[in-house]
Amino acid sequence: MSEISNGSMTRKGPGMMGETISRSEERMRRHRRIGHIPWLAYLFVALILITFIFPMLFLLNTALKNNTEFISNPVGVVTSLNWGNFSEAWQKGSFGAYFLNTVIYTVCGAGFGTLIALFMGFPVARGYIRGAKFWNLLFTLVLFLPNALMTQFQLLLRLHLYNTQLGYILMVAVGVGIGPLLFSGFVTSLPRDLDEAAAIDGVGYWTYLFKFVVPLAKPALATVFILQAVWIWNEIILATVLFSDQSKFPISAGLFAFKGTYSNNWPLLAAATLIVAAPLVLGYIFIQRYLVNGVLGAVKG
Amino acid sequence: MNNQHNYPFPSRAPLRATFGIALAVLTVFALVPAIAVLFVSFTDLRQVSYLPTHFVGLQNYIDYFGAGHRADNLNALKNTLIFAGVSTVIQIYLALGIAILLNNPKLRGRNLYRAVVFMPTVLGVTVTALVWSLMFNTSGGPIQRVLELFGQRSAFFGDQNIALYLVIFVQIWMVCGTSVIIFLSGLQAIPQELYEVSSIDGANRWQQLRFVTMPMLAPSITANVLLGIVNAMQSYQLTYVLTGADKKGTQVLSLQVYMQSFGGRSGTTLSQSQGYAASISMVQFVLVGVITLTTLWYLRRKEQR
Repeated sequence: MSEISNGSMTRKGPGMMGETISRSEERMRRHRRIGHIPWLAYLFVALILITFIFPMLFLLNTALKNNTEFISNPVGVVTSLNWGNFSEAWQKGSFGAYFLNTVIYTVCGAGFGTLIALFMGFPVARGYIRGAKFWNLLFTLVLFLPNALMTQFQLLLRLHLYNTQLGYILMVAVGVGIGPLLFSGFVTSLPRDLDEAAAIDGVGYWTYLFKFVVPLAKPALATVFILQAVWIWNEIILATVLFSDQSKFPISAGLFAFKGTYSNNWPLLAAATLIVAAPLVLGYIFIQRYLVNGVLGAVKG
Repeated sequence: MNNQHNYPFPSRAPLRATFGIALAVLTVFALVPAIAVLFVSFTDLRQVSYLPTHFVGLQNYIDYFGAGHRADNLNALKNTLIFAGVSTVIQIYLALGIAILLNNPKLRGRNLYRAVVFMPTVLGVTVTALVWSLMFNTSGGPIQRVLELFGQRSAFFGDQNIALYLVIFVQIWMVCGTSVIIFLSGLQAIPQELYEVSSIDGANRWQQLRFVTMPMLAPSITANVLLGIVNAMQSYQLTYVLTGADKKGTQVLSLQVYMQSFGGRSGTTLSQSQGYAASISMVQFVLVGVITLTTLWYLRRKEQR
């Protein structure tokens, strides 16, 4: 067991060291130029913040108006808060059902995709499967596949999975993207001795995978899962192509359909948009770290 | 290394089982449809399954490059290249600027700013498109109001001359944060001593940027350019939600594939043959491959200098 904690220590090592170094450097630099505030930099930062935050605030402002107020003064600050838009949009757009669909698709799809990364990435990185070069090429190739909308549709049609939730889940599950590559890259940082030590103690492959690799690789697996989950949560084209029945839509496609119906009622539409965006923005606070890891891992790969 | 002989666990069966299942699912649902695109491109496969499918040889490709579709296809090709080129170039320079700005150690709250810039990544196309449709609302939206101050009006996404550039703007807003993250990590990896040494040598800020930062950032630039181009050549979801699938001004290759496969109303000539759509997809695939590899080759050569 001591080896396991060692492994996780070495993984945390570089990041922590880097942080302390940059922090002490920061302190030194601040010390050198006391009282010097970079006004120009703050001006640019303000511009950037406005570009990214103002549209969201304007969306909120619109969502709180009633339609007459919006038509008479589309840009003015809201005068009386009209929270009713949210419940109205929630009911008219049946976002409750869409939300549930999306949660199912995202959890199952990204869960299955992460399992693919685990089941394939680990043995390939360890060389337990012949042809590591070929498999790594395959992991890269899945990033550059051609636009296959028509064949994905035809495949599900022929498997009698068209317009089924299972069919859609399978299609988004294999959208693994960078996952297997990212994970097999991570596995090389796990000590190989651990495999042998565990095997000598009589631990089987599956037990080892789930009781040792998964706990040790939690941050990497979380990154893989979250990258794919964000993609599935926002996926819209496959959903419109693979479902004929609107009630099976995920929330993103549901919002798009809602836009088609209520395009003349911006306050309601803005409220619906915020309903869809709110869990993303709230979740973002927690998953940001993993997303950043994923982006940086993808570049190194 | 003869690694495959080092398998330490008692039995290979569980390894084969899980690897096999994962590979089977990946093959059936990802690789088979992808490879099938090539085969379908030689047939007249249609969306409705009860019509018989015939082998038509190169007919779809002849149609694609033929006179009948030339105007549509050149238009889509032009839009795709403009979209990919303009959005990638602006995104790189903008992200580089923001990253250098946020890398300033004297700035407080840098992590917060970074988080804000990166946020649209999770918002997704539908939310992003609706937010900007509201901002570009033609009847009295905020941007229209600003234009009105100058005595101007615009149909924005309805104006086929500028719609593509507005979509590019929104696209950059949406994905710029990813490039910023990559550049920031590249900047933080540059050893501080290089700046100290160069300032002792009398280099000014601009010279430091030109001769220290840029060369050291070369790998990040390569990564960003490649990501940007591949992403932009293939992305159409945002265009689809912002302008619809069938507008001439914003028609790109991927949208053509979608329209030809699944139809709907259209101003362009429509055969609704998925075989023809597959041939467009193959043309796009080859184009993306050629452009990506050329760019990679060019940037790698520049990196080495």
